[in-house]
Amino acid sequence: CKKYLEVNPEERILETDYYKTPDQAFASLVSVYDMVGNQSSGYLTKTDIMNVGCDDHFAGGANSSDIGDLQAVAKYTFNQISNAGAVTYLWNKGFTGAYRANVFLKHIGDVQMDAATKARYIAEAKLLRAYFYFDLVRFYKNIPLLLDPVDPSQMFNVEQVSPDAVYAQIITDLKASINDLPVTVPAATQGGRVTQGVAHALLGRVYMWQKNYAAAATELALVNGTPGGTSQFGYKLVANFADLWSPKNKFNSESIFEIVFNSTSNGTWSSVGGTEGNLECILVGPRSYSPKVAGAPDYVSGWSGQPFTDDFWNLIHKDPRNKPTVANLDSLETNGIVSYLHAYQNTGHFIEKFAGRTSTKAANGQLELNFPLDMYEIRLADTYLLEAEALLQSNQGVGPGTRAYQLFNAVRARVGLAPIAVTLTNIKTERRLELAGEGQRWLDLVRWGDAGTVLASKGFVAGKNEIFPIPQNELNNTKLQQSKEWGGTK
Amino acid sequence: QTIIRGKVTDNNGQILPGVTVKANGTPATAVTDVKGMYSIKVPPNASLTFSFIGYATQNVPVGSQDIINVTLSITQNDLNEVVVVGYGTQKKSVVTGSISSVSAAQLENMPINRVEQALEGRVSGVTIAQSSGSPGASSTIRIRGYTSFSNNANNDPLWVVDGVIVDNGGIGYLNEADISSIEVLKDAASAAIYGTRAANGVILVTTKKGRTGRLDINYNGFFGLQSPAHKLNMLNATQYATIRNESATNAGLAAPFGNPASYGVGTDWQSQIFSNNATRQTHQLSFSGGGDKSTFFTSFGYLDQNGIVAKPISNYKRINFRLNSTYMPAKFVTIGENLGYDYAKTQSIGNTNSEFGGPLSDAVNLDPITPTTVSDISKTPFPSDYNSQYIVRDPNGNAYGISHYVGQEMSNPLAYIQTHLGNYNWEHNIVANAYVEADPIKGLKIRSSLGTKVAFYGNETFTPTYYYNPSASNTRPSFNRQMNTGLAYNFENTLSYGKNIGKHNFNILLGQGNYMDNDTRNTNVTFYNVIATNFNQANLNYKPVTADRTADGSDGTEHTITSLFARATYNYDEKYLLTGSIRRDGSSRFGDNNKFGVFPGFSAGWVASRESFWPKNNVVNVLKFKGGYGVTGNDAGIGDFAFNATVGGGRNYTFGTGDASTIGWSPNAPSNPNLKWEQTQQTDFGFEATLFNDFNLNVDLYRKKTVGVLQTPPLPGYLGYFSNIAQNYGTSQNEGVDIELGYNKRLGDFRLGVIGNISFLKNKILYIAPGVQFVENQAGNFQTMGNVSRSIVGGSFNAFYGYQMLGIFQSQAEINSYVGPNGTPLQPNAKPGDVKFANLNGDNVIDPNDRTVIGNPIPNFTYGATLNLGYKAFDLVVFGNGVHGNQVFQGLRRLDIGNANYQTSILNRWTPSNPSNTMPRVVDTDPNRNYTNFSKLYLESGSYFRFKTVQIGYTIPQSISKKAGINKLRVYVMSENLATITKYDGYDPEIGGNVLGIDKGVYPQARSFMLGVNVGF
Repeated sequence: CKKYLEVNPEERILETDYYKTPDQAFASLVSVYDMVGNQSSGYLTKTDIMNVGCDDHFAGGANSSDIGDLQAVAKYTFNQISNAGAVTYLWNKGFTGAYRANVFLKHIGDVQMDAATKARYIAEAKLLRAYFYFDLVRFYKNIPLLLDPVDPSQMFNVEQVSPDAVYAQIITDLKASINDLPVTVPAATQGGRVTQGVAHALLGRVYMWQKNYAAAATELALVNGTPGGTSQFGYKLVANFADLWSPKNKFNSESIFEIVFNSTSNGTWSSVGGTEGNLECILVGPRSYSPKVAGAPDYVSGWSGQPFTDDFWNLIHKDPRNKPTVANLDSLETNGIVSYLHAYQNTGHFIEKFAGRTSTKAANGQLELNFPLDMYEIRLADTYLLEAEALLQSNQGVGPGTRAYQLFNAVRARVGLAPIAVTLTNIKTERRLELAGEGQRWLDLVRWGDAGTVLASKGFVAGKNEIFPIPQNELNNTKLQQSKEWGGTK
Repeated sequence: QTIIRGKVTDNNGQILPGVTVKANGTPATAVTDVKGMYSIKVPPNASLTFSFIGYATQNVPVGSQDIINVTLSITQNDLNEVVVVGYGTQKKSVVTGSISSVSAAQLENMPINRVEQALEGRVSGVTIAQSSGSPGASSTIRIRGYTSFSNNANNDPLWVVDGVIVDNGGIGYLNEADISSIEVLKDAASAAIYGTRAANGVILVTTKKGRTGRLDINYNGFFGLQSPAHKLNMLNATQYATIRNESATNAGLAAPFGNPASYGVGTDWQSQIFSNNATRQTHQLSFSGGGDKSTFFTSFGYLDQNGIVAKPISNYKRINFRLNSTYMPAKFVTIGENLGYDYAKTQSIGNTNSEFGGPLSDAVNLDPITPTTVSDISKTPFPSDYNSQYIVRDPNGNAYGISHYVGQEMSNPLAYIQTHLGNYNWEHNIVANAYVEADPIKGLKIRSSLGTKVAFYGNETFTPTYYYNPSASNTRPSFNRQMNTGLAYNFENTLSYGKNIGKHNFNILLGQGNYMDNDTRNTNVTFYNVIATNFNQANLNYKPVTADRTADGSDGTEHTITSLFARATYNYDEKYLLTGSIRRDGSSRFGDNNKFGVFPGFSAGWVASRESFWPKNNVVNVLKFKGGYGVTGNDAGIGDFAFNATVGGGRNYTFGTGDASTIGWSPNAPSNPNLKWEQTQQTDFGFEATLFNDFNLNVDLYRKKTVGVLQTPPLPGYLGYFSNIAQNYGTSQNEGVDIELGYNKRLGDFRLGVIGNISFLKNKILYIAPGVQFVENQAGNFQTMGNVSRSIVGGSFNAFYGYQMLGIFQSQAEINSYVGPNGTPLQPNAKPGDVKFANLNGDNVIDPNDRTVIGNPIPNFTYGATLNLGYKAFDLVVFGNGVHGNQVFQGLRRLDIGNANYQTSILNRWTPSNPSNTMPRVVDTDPNRNYTNFSKLYLESGSYFRFKTVQIGYTIPQSISKKAGINKLRVYVMSENLATITKYDGYDPEIGGNVLGIDKGVYPQARSFMLGVNVGF
């Protein structure tokens, strides 16, 4: 009668039967990449959280409670309690990614496959694990460092380690990955997979956060190559700034680490968290948008999220990057070209870079949830400016003719701006303008130590809001302790 | 000596064959024949005693009559009654378990739509709460408390209908009028024979059978009107504007409403969604009878109930058919079947008990300023709110009002109704079994039974384009069809043998069974951009382009159980009683380490009143002591293959420029090869007594301990698992007392019957896991507060957990002097009128660590009572039930929508001139978290007593009805939910479902008045 109890597992595959073939090894690696593009069912993404937390954006939306989790970030009223929310989202995104990398690394040894491919997969998994831990240690500071899937018997015994230990592991993983990663990948089939350039760029960023500017400059120089030229990894600034935000230009020469989306995963309202489309496109579009004259922009009516602040608008207004960065609905409406709903915290200025358009919308399925526009985790202009900053901070020459000067002004020259001196203030302004809306500003402010002053009016408390609280669910029944910044002991 | 003749019927006019008629003081006896007729020779001035199992014995003096027709009334708690037990029946007088019964007589003519309602208030030890007042909604049943921690199916009882196991979700197919009896096996000694799935108690339903004799035809029907029993007192437009202004100015903002009085009374949204004349009707027709070799019972039922909320989209219709028959092809062989079928069609308003929209939540939260409809948009204060081609209009072309103040999921409920017209769920269920029974030698019975449940169910949903508000709109009309099938079967073979040797009575039962369920298949198709504009036009023949068609599907995983079981009972002279049973079950849900579980049960009884030394007295007529112990199991709530680590797909990413996903796979959760049965050990002790001839008293004390509770507890996110691990996790305990008391008296033309029951329950969580102190109620999430209830070691299941409110700050001085140990103010940002929260952990801040248990959703006791009164042709039934000592979380207002409307209780808020100490001030963004922290502000007493049914009937004298060929004709009026005595100020204190005592806008139960008729031919 025991046989009677053996039922067909339907779609289920046992873990012990898996991780045998090269295809399965690859599918396991894909699951790690999945978390790079992870978006929550509550419309949270790393980018939108970083945007609304910084001084360039309001939370916007329909009203003061639309996507409450983002409103809470914008007002700094979030806490550790909520089981949804940005605090939990960022935590779970990072640790799920790290876990999947750990699962892959644990099983890959058993897979019979070509050694070179296997080495490359391992390198990719290690790099991605470093990427997730880098986010986690920046966001939460006091985190557990798990390099293996946790045995269920030990799951409540995990403890936090020092941030230094986490950084050391990140650097170890990144360095270990470099040699086995490809220099470039064919964009058509493998675009989005990480390369040696990604490893160096990440390493450069990590050193910047550690204020190890000399090491950062060294790593970033490998990525950047000759300012304005093509680097050893094939990177070169895209000639036309506006071309960076078109689904037609995926994996362009400026793209180092791209978060990839598609329009064919058929995301629906009941599977918002599972769509492979870019949610940011619908979030930032103008609400109740309707063109009134022929030739009006083909925006898809969106939800008016993350509008630019007037402060930012005043800064970019005269900059050549204005048009590709800001969707100026205010002006379009004034000129009778379009109408749209003035929603919550409306400034009339939305993120042009990501605003969904009829030309980029999905051919079928729920169009709101299936925009195929990619986003940049790292692009060359960013690493140019970072290296210039690293050179400046490590007291190397920054005057005309120096590498720092060339890097910094190559970014300006690309949009037709005259060279100016490399100063920290200028770099800060340049990064703000160049990378607007891309989720970098908040991290920059924290890294520079400026967040406490710049964001005070939003509710940011210096000495506290530089990190997020450890989510309550992680403290329940575990050995984890809340960070001191949030009233804890860690 | 004279010959007396006559006919014996029951109080429904049913013929009673087999009634013993005895002439007192003589040896003469007779038995009624198949037509209920008897004849007996008696001496002059004798009296006759009529007795029959299950009926009150009656004495009739003969006098000068020679025809004596007698009506026997059914007794409720007669110890001679036979009760259904697992795989058989037993005389109630020798039962040693704790079994509560509900008989057909108790349910007759009651306005019961679902079988669960038949138990509510009628049996002790069973807590029942309707999950909503939505027509056709199910109820949550807990037998002797909560054993498992989690909220899914693990606490549901096992339903066995005529031997067929029916899943808890599917029991709604049953027609109440077909029920002959319901037995609830509460103690483990009785339930252990059902082993694996008995931990939450077993409910045995037996349907009516035909009786040998003449053809009986019965009709019962009623028709009535329903209305809401209670509406909330909401602010009118002027009050609303006043409060909103105050809230804004308290936050230092400009008052948003210029002249509150100019808004007048505004819109009463509740009056827009509630119906005061929703109809309901039930019609039941049955035929039964039998000959020498066969019997049959067949019935038809029809039920149609409209909802009182959003009537156009709230309705339940059910059609039932039943055929139960037996046939004896040979003297010792019986074959038979019980077949029940239903078709049900449900229109539902969508969200019930949810804060996220739906007509109820809309009506509570929408501002009263927004008009219901607008004829000229340009004249509205905010024409741009209507700036969409998809705004919803009424049949006259007027736009439904769109709120300028309250958005998100909240929509104009009239627009919501308009866009949901026609959508429905449907189901067909066939629950049937066929059996062969043979008794080749006396006392031996071999039975083989095959039972199945086949279910077909699905829904048809048309979603038109709509624009409720900027957050809720749809631009693509779609039509969705879901179709599902489900199959379950059980195959059981039993052998029983009973023998009496002198005063020694033995009975043994051996059995074997195989069970399968959850063989389900689902397909789901949606066509977008269909041409239809309303439900009636929508179908799948309008083919949109292929890109606009989506399809999905799924398959259930079969769940199988294989079993061996045995039971032996012994009694000596019905005085000393023993029962022992054992069952060995294997389940497909466990791995090789623990595939099989063994579940023993043992009970004993002593009928003291049968002892020779028991003095004959009129105080204690019958007294039986009983006690038992048993172990039952549970394999529910963990899903299949939880013992194994599985990997799952769908963890996808995009590579390259092909605009397509690459499929990624990762583990779901680590394996747990040691996963095993959740076990409930239960000890039961009690007694049954008949007192003063007329009182029946039944008392049971029990202690239930559940170990290795199965569940998938939420784990820390740092583990990174895709899903949580199923574990045997913790120990919980339920202790309680169940008391049932009955009284029956007949004085001439006057009849009186009272049955009451009361159950006390105390739940305690003894252990969770090493180092784990609590587990949160995952279904108890409330808006921005997170989970408001949790099970804590040492505490009670899902107790309310929040901040202790010490009162309200009346002055700045009081705020300044409320300091922590280091002397700094604990609530430095508070203002007079804000809540003072207790600093329980003694540090220098008020934070989540200061929360504590502030209430309990589980009642201290539940009770029910039925009063039957009769005088000549009139009869009266009053039935009520109640709970006491629990709290309900009243969360009807949306916290995250600042502009949501308020109940009038807010008028008592703190203001400088009204120094309230209970209701804090209103202030936008609520900086002190007066309302966003969970405190007793949200808890209200959930105690209530409800007059569930009141019915007055009149039976037309037979002398009149006979002329029309009618055996019995009775007319009645009744009311359901006539009155509810409660302090609760939400709609309804009865909150069923998984949430346990959390009211987010539960669909209230209707009050109805009905007129009915019974006809028997």
